[in-house]
Amino acid sequence: MGIIGKRVAYYPGCSLEGASRAYDVSTRIVVKELGLELDYLEDYNCCGAMESKNVTFMGTMLLNARNMSLALKRGHKVIVAPCNGCSFSLQRAEYFLETDRKVFEKVNELLKEGDVDPLDEIPHTYHLLEWLYNEAGPQKVKERTVRPLKGLKVANYYGCLYTRPHFYSRTYAHAGGNGEERPRKRETADDDEHPFYMNELLEAAGAESVYFEPMHTQCCGGPHSLSDEDVSKKFVMMILQTAKRNGANIIATECPLCHASLEMYRYRLMLEGIEDVDVPAAYFTQLLGLAFGYSVDDVKLKDNLSDPIPVLRRLGIA
Amino acid sequence: MPIHERSLIESERVLRKERLVIDGIDVSGDWNLIILPRTVEDYDLDFAKEIMESPDGKTIQQCYQCSYCTASCPVHNYWDDRYNPRHFIYLARLGMVDELQKRVDVMWRCVSCHKCTHRCPKGVLVEDVLKVILRVMYKRGLIGDYPSKKFDQFFTESVLEYGRIEDGELLFGWMEKQGYKIKKDPILRKPIPFFSDIPRWLKDMVSKPIKEGNISFIMLNAKHMLFHPRTKEWNKFKQVLRRVMEEEGALAKGG
Repeated sequence: MGIIGKRVAYYPGCSLEGASRAYDVSTRIVVKELGLELDYLEDYNCCGAMESKNVTFMGTMLLNARNMSLALKRGHKVIVAPCNGCSFSLQRAEYFLETDRKVFEKVNELLKEGDVDPLDEIPHTYHLLEWLYNEAGPQKVKERTVRPLKGLKVANYYGCLYTRPHFYSRTYAHAGGNGEERPRKRETADDDEHPFYMNELLEAAGAESVYFEPMHTQCCGGPHSLSDEDVSKKFVMMILQTAKRNGANIIATECPLCHASLEMYRYRLMLEGIEDVDVPAAYFTQLLGLAFGYSVDDVKLKDNLSDPIPVLRRLGIA
Repeated sequence: MPIHERSLIESERVLRKERLVIDGIDVSGDWNLIILPRTVEDYDLDFAKEIMESPDGKTIQQCYQCSYCTASCPVHNYWDDRYNPRHFIYLARLGMVDELQKRVDVMWRCVSCHKCTHRCPKGVLVEDVLKVILRVMYKRGLIGDYPSKKFDQFFTESVLEYGRIEDGELLFGWMEKQGYKIKKDPILRKPIPFFSDIPRWLKDMVSKPIKEGNISFIMLNAKHMLFHPRTKEWNKFKQVLRRVMEEEGALAKGG
């Protein structure tokens, strides 16, 4: 424990300051309770998510390099992002900047032109979940829990980009034909195919994890949730039905995009009369916040479109 | 690459005969299927070169066609088995542009789940490579405005303009692009969800916080819809970004 650092730069991402504010608020609560510290990255810009990279390569590098530069300016070598998309984008930029000298030099040149400090080193990006697990861990969560999530059966949904692809976040010297360098292995990373960090944190808070493989890392439609409705609908249906049929009464999420996609299509599927899709979703930080004794309003459970409050009330948690 | 591609054989070139006599010898029976040969002349070797020029596309040359990507792909497995990443890479490397063009209706369906990249034993960044293939095809006019392209462009230009995105603008702006009639206020030209002709699920979603009296949530999102959140020190950087995108040909055509 304690490899990444207790005080890190916090890159919330656009979504967390708008429709997904519940995740932001509950994240701050949990982080404070666990004795860690987030330093808000003032005046950050969008990471480009999964969309910009399909349109422009260098533009997306620049967007992320600017955020990295802001973090370095504040004296941070570690950025924590609570969104799968944001942490993916920053890690992807990290990978290309680290493995491709030409890209690195070009990006620095362009940053200077845009009045942004060039990068003298490349900060590392971690997902919030990975950071919480490594810096605080289940033991600390257990100590802090005052209202155990007793009887709550959770389906832990990790989404795609938390563990994938390993090239960007764990072993990034391997791909890209740069064979001479030794692959760097990140010790703190979760298991590739069978992630368990969220399971352990929520179990430490008293919840029970249901069997949810392989849907725990199945795609929800992600960047296509608006542009390709047929595919997204089918994917979300598979996820929700698996959760329900395996006995879950709530889905824990850790990405605002996955969360929004699950909630939106859950409601649409229910309108269409599809069976076994009525499992509500909540951010894992909201559930941890409840376990630490905070109220429904403190963790903004009302913001969740899928309304998990009745389930939690029935179990006496909220 | 001596890989036999069943999908490269069109049905017109497959001949089946009940009885077949060649040079006076009866070869009926097992020999009743003949595939007429085809000479491919319209391959485009520059196509693969252009893909390799982009830093995120250069790993295409490491592919050895094991098909692990396709085996992992959820779009292939759960939606349409014509979506085949391995095959797209094969065609792109050979430069068989016309074959790629026959598949444009499924090629854009990648949901960026990165199972392909994650599991590739050769270190091909499969997801990136597929997006580069699409990008190059779009640049050459081989593929039209497919749905996710429209969204990507819309999203990226919003980022370029403000430095940040706003969920309401994306959602309603996208609905408007889909042909729904969105009412806008006369002064700021911002969407008003309640008087708009939008599907029921969206109307219900928007009215949930109002029904529950979740005032702080409504205020926050209304504020963002009226005053787009933006990055403060953005202007100078925006110019650089716009220039870079122009050089890459990434800005919308005509826009």
